[in-house]
Amino acid sequence: MKIIKTLALGLTVAAATQMTHAADSGFDLKTVDPEADRMALQKYYKDRFPKAEISDYVNGIYAVDAASREQWVELEEFPPYEFDVEKGEELFNTPFANGKGYADCFENGGIGIRQNYPYWSKEEGTVKTLEQEINECREKNGEKKLRWGKGEIAQVSAYMAWTSRDKVFDIKVPEGDKDAMAAYLEGKKFFYTKRGQLNLSCANCHLQGSNVFIRADLPSPMLGHVTHFPVFRSKWGELGTLHRRYSGCHKDSRSKPLKPQHETFRNLEYFQTYMSNGLVVNGPGARK
Amino acid sequence: MKKTLLIAALACAPTFAAAESFQEAFEMNRAMYGPDHVFTWNGNQYHTNHEEEMEARVKATKANAEDLLAKAMAKNKEVGELGFEWKLTKDILKDAQAAIDAGEYQKALDLAAQAKYHARIGIQQYHYAEKNWHLAVPQ
Ligand code: HEC
Repeated sequence: MKIIKTLALGLTVAAATQMTHAADSGFDLKTVDPEADRMALQKYYKDRFPKAEISDYVNGIYAVDAASREQWVELEEFPPYEFDVEKGEELFNTPFANGKGYADCFENGGIGIRQNYPYWSKEEGTVKTLEQEINECREKNGEKKLRWGKGEIAQVSAYMAWTSRDKVFDIKVPEGDKDAMAAYLEGKKFFYTKRGQLNLSCANCHLQGSNVFIRADLPSPMLGHVTHFPVFRSKWGELGTLHRRYSGCHKDSRSKPLKPQHETFRNLEYFQTYMSNGLVVNGPGARK
Repeated sequence: MKKTLLIAALACAPTFAAAESFQEAFEMNRAMYGPDHVFTWNGNQYHTNHEEEMEARVKATKANAEDLLAKAMAKNKEVGELGFEWKLTKDILKDAQAAIDAGEYQKALDLAAQAKYHARIGIQQYHYAEKNWHLAVPQ
């Protein structure tokens, strides 16, 4: 408990210095400007870690911490997600009971399209994620929905990411579309809002706290957070989806976490992926 | 004691600039001396107890325990609707109910008070965030 208190205090100090150049616009529907946010975030990291290339942020904490990077390079020599990609490919290509398959549900047969997710669906008035559409594809074809966090859904998603490696994220928030802007803004607000018994925001750990030890952990920069999902995490001993990670991190502030694919998490993914525009798909990834 | 309690409760109402520094004084005294300490702020005396701790200091009867538990559950529902429910609160509420069922009314009162405190601070976080979340955004 003592450690946590010290941490919270340290972060309060960090937040206070932050205020001196806090933004004065972009917090309501009138002024919100995703591209300005993205440029400001890149600048923040340029100033903070001048030696790190922006393109290297797809590698998470390994972009800014040399010691972790060494371990990770070793990890990547025998990628722990290899089996999952193979399994994902097999699942992807196995027809449903009605003879159709995943390829029938997606653009370009589902190949090389990871960088287009999540996107704003005007018809449905909501943010759509890849995992969501994987399950919708199943239901449409009379199959049962998969559980969101891990297992087959993560494997199919991993295969689809694999076929999209090196494609550049280019998430759009359609200008003049108020509802899309509102979704983006909600995601942004969620990221910067302190909550839970520890009174921590995502930003406390992943912006101010990037590459600063939090107990035994180094939280990664939020720039590039989403590019390598799903992820094989050594601590899980298996592959998991982005929203599984979101739930875990949400709980780390000692909040009651939202469930995967909750609208707020989809908006968060929308915001975070927009922040990573210009970076490449490098999923699935491996992390400690 | 009664008088200090009343003043503390009033000071907790969000009247701004003053409330903020009262909050600091309260928290510092609470952290240094724990509950049941009396301190002076702006010429008045206050105690370091949370309002919920005072609510738990009633006769340990089934009716009182049930009453406080109901209030705590309502508060937790309120904070849940704002999206700021804390992780452990639901289990604390369950434990409070179990304590009532076991006839341990003081324990139930204390647990309900704790849960209600969680919920109240969560609601405060919501209001704080509405005003201040943007301060953390780099520009
Ligand atoms: C108490 C600090 C803390 C808080 C608060 C926190 N995280 Fe994390 N998060 C971590 C740590 C530590 C890791 C593991 C190391 C890392 O970042 O890869 C992590 C990992 C992640 C990852 C995976 C990164 C990767 O490279 O695989 C994502 C995405 C993430 N967090 C998002 C969030 C979001 C969104 C929130 C807010 C809901 C949040 N985190 C809140 C500490 C935190």
